[in-house]
Amino acid sequence: MYRYDEIDREMLADRAAEFRAQCARRLSGEMTEDQFKPLRLMNGLYLQLHAYMLRIAIPYGALRSDQMRMLAHVARTYDQGYGHFTTRTNLQLHWIKLRDAPDILDDLAKVGLHAIQTSGNCIRNLTADPHAGATAEEVDDPRIWAEVIRQWSTFHPEFTYLPRKFKIAVTASPKDRAAIRVYDIGLRLHRDDENALSFEVLVGGGLGRLPHLGPVIRQRLPVRHLLSYLQAVLRVYNRHGRRDNPNKARIKILVAALGPEEFARQVEEEWELTDKASVDLPSTELARIRAGFAPTGFETLSPVSTAFEAAKTFDRAFARFARRNVLTHKVPGYALVNVSLKAIGETPGDCSADQMDVIADLAERYSMNEVRVTYEQNLLLPHVKLDDVPAVHAALSAAGLATANINLISDIIACPGLDYCALANARAIPIAQDIARRFEDPALAETIGELKIKISGCINACGHHHVGHIGILGVDKKGEEFYQLTLGGSAEDDAALGQVLGPAVAADKVAPSIDRLVEVYLRERRQGERFIDTFRRAGLPVFKEAVYAEAH
Amino acid sequence: MKALTANRLIDGEVVFWTGADWSERFAAAVLFDDNTAAEAAEARAKSQITLLVDPYLIDVAEVEGGVAPVSYRERLRALGPTNRPDHGKQAAGGADIALLAHAHGAARSKGRVDLIRRK
Amino acid sequence: MPKLIRWRGGVAAWADDAFTAVDDDQPVPPGDVIVSLARFQREGRYLLSQSRNLGVRLASDEGPESLIVDLPRLSVLALTFPKFRDGRAYSAARIARERLAFAGELRAVGDVLLEMAVPLVRCGFDAIEPTDASTPEQWTRVAHRFRHVYQRAADGRAPAFAERDGV
Repeated sequence: MYRYDEIDREMLADRAAEFRAQCARRLSGEMTEDQFKPLRLMNGLYLQLHAYMLRIAIPYGALRSDQMRMLAHVARTYDQGYGHFTTRTNLQLHWIKLRDAPDILDDLAKVGLHAIQTSGNCIRNLTADPHAGATAEEVDDPRIWAEVIRQWSTFHPEFTYLPRKFKIAVTASPKDRAAIRVYDIGLRLHRDDENALSFEVLVGGGLGRLPHLGPVIRQRLPVRHLLSYLQAVLRVYNRHGRRDNPNKARIKILVAALGPEEFARQVEEEWELTDKASVDLPSTELARIRAGFAPTGFETLSPVSTAFEAAKTFDRAFARFARRNVLTHKVPGYALVNVSLKAIGETPGDCSADQMDVIADLAERYSMNEVRVTYEQNLLLPHVKLDDVPAVHAALSAAGLATANINLISDIIACPGLDYCALANARAIPIAQDIARRFEDPALAETIGELKIKISGCINACGHHHVGHIGILGVDKKGEEFYQLTLGGSAEDDAALGQVLGPAVAADKVAPSIDRLVEVYLRERRQGERFIDTFRRAGLPVFKEAVYAEAH
Repeated sequence: MKALTANRLIDGEVVFWTGADWSERFAAAVLFDDNTAAEAAEARAKSQITLLVDPYLIDVAEVEGGVAPVSYRERLRALGPTNRPDHGKQAAGGADIALLAHAHGAARSKGRVDLIRRK
Repeated sequence: MPKLIRWRGGVAAWADDAFTAVDDDQPVPPGDVIVSLARFQREGRYLLSQSRNLGVRLASDEGPESLIVDLPRLSVLALTFPKFRDGRAYSAARIARERLAFAGELRAVGDVLLEMAVPLVRCGFDAIEPTDASTPEQWTRVAHRFRHVYQRAADGRAPAFAERDGV
């Protein structure tokens, strides 16, 4: 994985020193909270319901084992001994004190971690396909480009005070594991017939109050012009994005208002005036970053591992784990091992410091020092020898990390919700726990098959409810927690926004409603259909009737 | 009836105005029947920028055994997250925690409406 | 008269401001003045024909491209930050410096705070009217917080990739 060089490390140190100075000016009263707030947000520090929350960046969802150990150390030393992995592949700590924040940033910087621009109206953490470097599907390693953009966007002086937050995602596979359709900028790498790389550029996707699927603004952009083109997009947005209403300030509003064609034209016009050579990365620098991600150390192995096959035969639990959580790697004899942070009855995405240490050890010993975070709030060991999967499974099992439910009904995305978040209208965590417990029988969950439930505690949609096969949105109805259900959303290549099922239901009716929906699916499905497929074929009414018929 | 709450600047802890100082316990909060007195206390709190972040008034009502914030959100702030009863103020246990935990919301909370407007 | 800080050779210092900022409904006094874009578009030719130094103040939704013909004759271009969080003037500044080759004084006015020093300097501002109690010494210190930069901007600093190349 790319290792920060001296310049990258000095950036982190200087930023940490800057934030320390800014905190001092706030604590002395030299700065008001109004003046300080954007600065602390740009270092990932929110004030939430119970305490400050620190959002640590995990660029393109990739961590080394020493970095994972540092996260455990920070969680233990400065927080309550756990952290929460988010739908933006960052780590949130929910019990932080402002007076500790400068020390935390210093600690993180020691291993090349930071909280730079994880909040604020600036370019946020880059996300990418979590299978990067491990999947045969990709035309290039998207992390290379995510790192290129990360550096360019860090402390960018022109784009530090945008109309609103700005999120960029990169993928290089036909199967979209980075949700690029619902990003401010989504980038997909392509290779043409002459083997040249180019980007398909989508602009104006997003969730929240007004969800949009991002239209293609440019079909093909030669990769060497990535940064100059991004500068053009960001500059048009910085100059013309709305500043009068924070709910109308994202780039998706500008793209929709102008129309994609006019927006694209304005970007092209700005781009034509750009001195591209001064912005675009020299090929030497690109080569240097690329080299940082070059695959090393893979052994030549048989594609079939007798140890792996034997474990499947003799251990039913392992067989299930292999079925649900283990994926074929591009290198024969290796596998990607999904680590579920959705143990039944636990808080989705939460990971204790002890569990982080276990994963760090496994990454170091069995996964070439790498671990990934997915936007579905799970972890992934990307380079495990099939021979080693049984040992990995045993260690995960002992740590409560071996739930074999990836992509199943209990693999739920849930934001922290009203239990933690100052923006929330309702809780999301107990709803997720209720549903997971109801469907905890692994055989039942496998019978149901792929079903992506996504829960948000408010319209800001951090739980991605718009793009869940079943989406659940918490609302406040007369001071009580109610939940609106949607069906048919997807964040993948079949991207779609969910359709509202009917009136919001009370908290204790949510899990029973999911029961009804699953019953309809199991009854109506045809051979090979997932829940989402049956919904698309059969339509909303049969599902709606099942949930609401008894209620009235 | 109202109470005055804020977050402490230095550590983000939820605190309540007792009439003399700022307590981490809702049970120690002074209750205002008089809007003028409440707003005066709020204005004074807002001037203490090196101590507090975002002081604001919340609606409280009588419940069995005492007084509790009307809005669920404010009861969570006074207690802690429901998924981790071992975290936050609720971990201390005791009678005043039990009172808050058993209170339930009735009508739409004015405290919540003020919050939404401020957003 | 608001305070003025100017940069020379990487150091910020108090400066005497020879320029009077003139509102649209005020008559133009003698001496060096800064007027709004609208006023300049009405009276600029006349003002430029007099022997005085002239500056134009742009609102946050006005672009320096509107001045493309007259920019070389302006001594000061003042860009407005109505609130410090409104970052449009950073784009305007870079365009003025890098695209339109404006060589006069680029001044930040409006809600201008110490913690803006790094992006202000990098985007090409060389004068500011601070609205907090900050001093030139603080501005100098803050502007030099970062030993490296990742991208080229209007300040001419070599980006990290150029440093790495030894270029």
